[in-house]
Order: sequence, then structure tokens, then C-alpha cells
Amino acid sequence: MSDQPIPVTVAKDLEDLIPTFMKNRHKELETLRAALAAGDMEQLRQLGHRMKGVGNSYGFELVSVLGKKVEDGAKATDRAALEAGIAEYTDYLARVKIVYE
Amino acid sequence: MSDLASGQAAQTAFRVLVVDDDPDMAGFLARLLVQQGLQADTAADGPAALARIAVLQPDLVLMDVQMPGPSGFDICRRLKSQEATALLPVVLVTALEDHESRVRGIEAGADDFLSKPVRREELIARVKTLRRLHEIRKELEGRRLAAEVQRKDEIRKAFARYISPRLAERVLRESRGSEEVFRNLSNRAAVVALFADLRGFTRLSETVPVSSIVPMLNEYFTELTSAAHDNEGTVFSMAGDSMLVGFNVPVPQADATGRAVATARAMIQRFAPVAARWRAEHGLATGIGVGIEAGEVVVGNVGAPSFMSYTIIGDPVNVAARLMQRAEPNEIVIGPGAERLDLHDRLRALPGHGRGNGRARRNGGTAAGRWHAEGAAGDSRERVTLERPGIGAGAFSCRADNGATAQHAGTVAGDR
Repeated sequence: MSDQPIPVTVAKDLEDLIPTFMKNRHKELETLRAALAAGDMEQLRQLGHRMKGVGNSYGFELVSVLGKKVEDGAKATDRAALEAGIAEYTDYLARVKIVYE
Repeated sequence: MSDLASGQAAQTAFRVLVVDDDPDMAGFLARLLVQQGLQADTAADGPAALARIAVLQPDLVLMDVQMPGPSGFDICRRLKSQEATALLPVVLVTALEDHESRVRGIEAGADDFLSKPVRREELIARVKTLRRLHEIRKELEGRRLAAEVQRKDEIRKAFARYISPRLAERVLRESRGSEEVFRNLSNRAAVVALFADLRGFTRLSETVPVSSIVPMLNEYFTELTSAAHDNEGTVFSMAGDSMLVGFNVPVPQADATGRAVATARAMIQRFAPVAARWRAEHGLATGIGVGIEAGEVVVGNVGAPSFMSYTIIGDPVNVAARLMQRAEPNEIVIGPGAERLDLHDRLRALPGHGRGNGRARRNGGTAAGRWHAEGAAGDSRERVTLERPGIGAGAFSCRADNGATAQHAGTVAGDR
């Protein structure tokens, strides 16, 4: 995977909400890993559904895309897809660079 | 100032409750709403939303569908089923492609949908539209309530001359579609009619100054009207010195006969001090004669387009008038139609009965079958006559002067 930053443009008027938003995404990632380890597909589905809704609302399009992957993977009990999605999410959160406009 | 807040500064802020278990989504939506000059509150689940709605009384609810515990559909359905919140607009926040949720949302009564991920422009447009609709709805509701208050006020005023204010208030308060009670002014109904008139007034009016006659009549009618209204009777007419009062109309009264007898007694008792004063001042005796009869009549607004009167027409009214004419001063003559109802209870209610100062007798001769019960109450003496060709078995008992009880258990031949 690349080390290049992934730029995300967020509305300036949401800037003060973003630190909490990002903290919650990191918590979410931990919860996703734990749920996968436990094989809790229902929790994974719910988490994926939530990511799908909230990500793009703030401007984080990939969070929504990955959320859909997780939701679909959980519905299909597709562990490989879930592992890939979580790995991609991990990489995304490590590289995302927020620009406020 | 934002689009939504412009022109609304003088008004109370439009209040939106955002319901979402994801704090980031709830915070995001609340932020966008506040930026539009609206007031935004949040709730993390359905039960919390219901509690906040009860306290905050928001103007709009934006609610996620998938939440722990009751879903957005459940809460929406509950809000729409309760009178207090049925008109509160609910927008369900669903994924754009989730058609099934939209159908379920419509079935649950949702007013609109907002797609996730939420687009700022879409949110503003939806809220703007719903705010306008909500304000129009509130305005219409306000007008409807004002019109209802006005209509009830008109009814109250129109009927104040017939029925007691207390009865009018009760009818308006308790009856759904109460105006129909008054508007449906042409129907057939079972009523108890009471006719009362003033005995001795003709002679009295020949001796008192003309200027005193009207005030005296007004004093007399005031007492009689109060007696009628205290018992929730409807005053149908006053003519000369007579008055017609109806019971069981315009609303049903289970104890209509009892009310009529109580009214008659109250009329006699209330008028007694007035009669005593008139006697002292003018030297002539006056009293009240009352006739009561029950039966089916036609109730309606009768008259010309330029002058109408709410009245009752029928044989029981005519019988009550004839009984009134036969009544001696301070006598209540009860007709056969009214007698059929709770005879024993009415006799037991007589002032003489059970207190040892009354008497009951059965008249002989042409008055066979007429039972009188007399009693004293304050300054008045009153007598009740039950007039009926055949009284029937197991009817009543009255206590006589000497304490003996006069029993009647057979059929009494009538004098009519």
C-alpha cells in the first residue's frame, strides 16, 4: 500500500466536529476488528451500515464506500471481503489528510 | 441570516429534534439545522425521543430508521397514532436505495424521507418545505379552533334564553358534535313537560299600580326560571303569567320526571316568600299551580323567518296545561304519562312523607283514584296530586299525620 496522503475536503463549518468524528472512526475500526474476530456478523453489518451513512455526509466518501463493503460482506458472511475492507479502512485512516474549505 | 431563518426572526425558532444513535450523524444534522437559524435538539434512541418530544414539543422530527430498541418506524407509528403528536411532521432518514424502508416509512405515517448520506441542500430543502407546511397546518388549526370557539359561543348565546348556563356548558363540553344537539331542531322526542302559572295575580294586578305589574311578574319569573335552571330544565316559553319547561330535551336526562317534580317543588318553595310579601303589601293571596305530563312531542324551531321560537308541540304539552289549570294554588298535578315513571320515588320525596308532618289521603266521590300528598316546607305548603285512571300494583306508600302509613297495592279506578 502507498504512503501517500489521501486528501479529503471537508466544509469549514464542520471543522470543530471533525476531531470527535475521527476519534469515533478509530474506535469504530477497533470494534470492527473485534467483531470480525468474534464472528459477529450482525454487529459488522450494523457498523458497516452506520459508516455508509455518516461518511459521505461529512465528506469522507471512502468511509461510505467501505461501509457498504462491510455491510455486504457481513450479510454474505464473506470473511475475506470483511478482512479486506477492514484492512483498507485501516490504511485509509492512517493516510487521510483533511483540508477545510 | 440563512434561508430558513429569514423573515422569521420575530417568531419562536422552529424546533427540530434529531433522533440518531450515531452521535456523529446526530451532531452533523443538528449543526446544519442550527446554521439555518433553527433550534436543534438530539436524542439517541426511540424512548429518549418520545421523552424529549413530550417536554420540548418540537415542530419537526428527523429520525434514523435503524436504531437500537424501537426502530424509527415504531416511533413514527406511535407518534402518528397519538392525538397530541399526530400532526408533528416526521422525516425518516434512510439510505437512498432502501426502497423497502421507504415503503415501511410511508405505512408508518412518515411525512418525508431524507437520504443518507445526507446532502446539505437536500436537508435544507426538505426542512424548508416541511416548515412551511407545518406553519400552514398550525395556522389552519388555529383558525379551526377559533371558529369552533366562536361557533360554540354563538350556540351558547342563542340557547341561553332556553337552558341553564350550566347545562349549556356541559352539553358543549361533553357532547361530540354538540352543535348538532342544537342545530337538529326538528325531531320527535320523549319529554316531560311542566306548565306553571300564577294564581291570584289577575285580581292582584287590578289593585296594584300598573308600573308595579311588570317588576312583579319579572320577580315571579326570575324565581321560576332559577328553579328550572337549577334542575337543568329547558324554558320553552313565558306567556302572560305561565311558563313551559321541558326535560329530557335538548339532551337526554335519565331522571327527567324527578327533575320536573323537583323543579315544581322548587318553584313553589322559591315563590313562597315573594307571595308572603305580596300578601303583606297588597292583601291578596297568590300561589303557583303546576301541571306535569310526559310523552312524545315534536321539538322544533317554530315561527316565521323573522321570528322563531324553540318549542315543543304535542299532546303531553296540552295535558300539562290542562292539569295546571286544574291545580289549586301550590298544587302539583302529575299526569298519567309522567306517573308511569318512578312513582314510588317521587312520592317518597314529598316533604310530608317520612317526617310525620304530612298526610296522604285517597279522595272519594268524583276524585276517586286521585291521591294527594301534602306537606310543609318553610313558609310554603304544597300538595302533589297523582292523576291516573289506574295506578297499578305495588305503587307507593305515604305517611299520614298520625304516623300511620297509607299503602296502596291495587288498581285504583280513575276519575278521567
